[in-house]
Amino acid sequence: MLAMLLRRVLLGLITVVLVSLIIFAGVEMLPGDACTAFLEREAQGQLLENCRIDLGLNQPAFLRYLDWASGALTGDFGLSANGHKTISEMVGYRLRNTLLLASCAMLTGVPLALFLGIVAGLWRDRSPDLVVSTLAIMAMTIPEFVSATLLILIFSVWLGWVPGIVLTSASAPVSEFFPAIFLPIMVLAMVMTAHILRTVRSSVIEVMASDYAQMATLKGVPYWRVVFGHVLPNALLPTINVVALTIAWLLGGVVVIETVFNYPGLGRMMIDSISDRDLPVTQAIALIIATVYVGVNLTADMATMLANPRLRTLHTRKR
Amino acid sequence: MKRFLISSCAIAAVTAGMAFAEPTGVFRQAHELGFGALSSLDPISKGRVFQITEKLMSRLVRPDMDGVPAPDLALSWTANADATEWTLNLRQGVKFHDGSSFGSEDVVYSLNRLLDPNSDSPARSAVKMITGVEAVDANTVKLTLNIPFADLPMQLMDYRLRMIPEGSGDTIAQTGIGTGPFKLEKFDAEGTSVLVANMDYFDGAPGVAKMEIIGIADGQARLQALLGGQIDMESGITAQQKAMFAASDKYVLQEIPTGNWRGIVMRNDVAPFTDPRVRKAVRMVADRQQMLNLVEGGSGTLACDIPVGPRDQYRADLSCPQDIEGAKALLAEAGFPNGIDMDIYVATLEQTWPMMAEVFQQQAAPAGIRVNIVQVPSDGFWSEVWMKKDVTLTRWNERPADQAMHEIYLGGAKWNESFYSDADFDAMLASARRELDFAKRKGLYVKAQEHLQETAGTLIPYHVTKLVGTTARVRNLDAVENMSIRWHLVTVD
Repeated sequence: MLAMLLRRVLLGLITVVLVSLIIFAGVEMLPGDACTAFLEREAQGQLLENCRIDLGLNQPAFLRYLDWASGALTGDFGLSANGHKTISEMVGYRLRNTLLLASCAMLTGVPLALFLGIVAGLWRDRSPDLVVSTLAIMAMTIPEFVSATLLILIFSVWLGWVPGIVLTSASAPVSEFFPAIFLPIMVLAMVMTAHILRTVRSSVIEVMASDYAQMATLKGVPYWRVVFGHVLPNALLPTINVVALTIAWLLGGVVVIETVFNYPGLGRMMIDSISDRDLPVTQAIALIIATVYVGVNLTADMATMLANPRLRTLHTRKR
Repeated sequence: MKRFLISSCAIAAVTAGMAFAEPTGVFRQAHELGFGALSSLDPISKGRVFQITEKLMSRLVRPDMDGVPAPDLALSWTANADATEWTLNLRQGVKFHDGSSFGSEDVVYSLNRLLDPNSDSPARSAVKMITGVEAVDANTVKLTLNIPFADLPMQLMDYRLRMIPEGSGDTIAQTGIGTGPFKLEKFDAEGTSVLVANMDYFDGAPGVAKMEIIGIADGQARLQALLGGQIDMESGITAQQKAMFAASDKYVLQEIPTGNWRGIVMRNDVAPFTDPRVRKAVRMVADRQQMLNLVEGGSGTLACDIPVGPRDQYRADLSCPQDIEGAKALLAEAGFPNGIDMDIYVATLEQTWPMMAEVFQQQAAPAGIRVNIVQVPSDGFWSEVWMKKDVTLTRWNERPADQAMHEIYLGGAKWNESFYSDADFDAMLASARRELDFAKRKGLYVKAQEHLQETAGTLIPYHVTKLVGTTARVRNLDAVENMSIRWHLVTVD
């Protein structure tokens, strides 16, 4: 168990390093750099030269990567390429805001998904299931930016209930994000509910059809005791992984949502930093998101193994 | 008659009431956050947030509602006989937001700071003919030029040439101290910056108590914010979005003719565009009205390849109908009886570029001009494509006639994007600058424009009409170009 944990952590670290390399190479390959992005039409001659020397862009790419990577190892993400601000300071509030958005969406989405998924599974192929499943398919297939725009149109432009765009500055206290944060939460919760509830539904159906559930029913155990005592505990296990994946998706996938709603989180910062060619900031954010992805998945696997003894024995026997 | 009297009394009472009313309400506006973390309140830096600086600081000379120079911090100006020395009389009793008095030494400081050869400011090119700035007395400044220049006041109207307190260069980026109608309360480029009314503003106290200038980088998000009433004004409305505003009484749409233009630019130093006949032929095949209708929904002012806007007092009145046969004849004369091929480089940096290129492609085909459209990324367009490839799309914001022709067409100018080089044209511009008589000067500038229509390598089909959307609660917002708006008059219900 411990050896496996260590192995997984090591693999996770390698993934994170690879991700940072790929991101660096990707942004480096885009035409233009931090100086041409800033200077636009004036990006010529001496002005461009001065700017590049100023920002250290005249050094070869791999030297800049090494420089950054060695700093990052000691927890120092360095300075942003053009703002001359420390990245830790810039990222701090943004990370908090994204976590705020993600956790609100989770608190709304996960219970809702479990409830709807169980309902759809138990009433399989009947009207509750059909309604829930159709809505889920719609929520999954309509791109977030479309549903976001529709929600803004309905709730902010037509009804005027909530503000459409978040105008709060990044460092504002949490309370100031309400009520503008409601629409982004709704969009995120919609998509994640759809994904989770479909897994819940199919695993409820599967367990309901299992031998032990049928045996319990045949022996005369009341229906709801079968559901709560035998079906749900077993059906909800596979959901842990889906929930974990969704959490990871939330942190990366908010990029689009944050841009549409002007939400001052990590996602929008990532977009801005890419268009500014601000490599150090892009790298730092990619690193954070990759670490969260790896971390959450690792935790989910561990949780599943703790909850399901069969998985553990299977692995130990293999070794 | 009686009713007329009553209503005029009512109007008089309302106007009088307005003039003495305390400023009330908050006016909200967005800015694009174009320079991210480098955003600043230094009016001459590249990262200046002009939506804020234009309300905090005043210029020496400002454009009036017709775009003609009018007093701002300078009350009057005179030139010597050959227009190489200008004397400005400054407004007296003006105070900066920090309480200090405005005087000639502040003008000397602000201008010298911009003219410093070590300054990286893009605004320097507007006034680089100034070689000396001298305080004659506390309220008089003398400017010495290295060339005769009759329209210096027009250059001083530049939206970046704002006066700041002497010695404040190192702090201005954060403090934003000026003499404008609003004072800075909080600067937060990525969030909300707050400005409050300056009750001592020399042109009268502002109508609104507060202005909030909010950074919203995404254009779609800015539009949503306006539709939802979270901001009161947004100027990037496209022709396609017009319908959304026309149908509702919650918004007002201002249509403002500007001198901004988009066009197709050929490099005159590359064959076959070295031949002015080929350049003219390429420009003759454009049906400008059709292009305007298809690309901009019909709102704009037709242009005949001149960079001078419709409101500019020097604009030449030209006509340029589509002429396919004439173009064919010119091409044949230049040695291309079978027409020419050209690659046009397009990015989506400017939304309307791809449409403009496609319309041109169709219009040019009958004349034997075979256009191939090459799509390139928006990133790095200005550094890798523009002025590098033979034919590209381009765009320019409004400039006064003289500045536009100098920056874009003068031989050897830094931004002479078509590499246009014509000694006759350069001489016309020089003599126009020297001419102090307005009518004669106008004649010279018109001649220069006619020369461009004959020989230039830049297709300028029209000048853009800007659509500015506001919420219905905004009153008295001048329906003119941004740099002429009198912000202290704006009120909100």
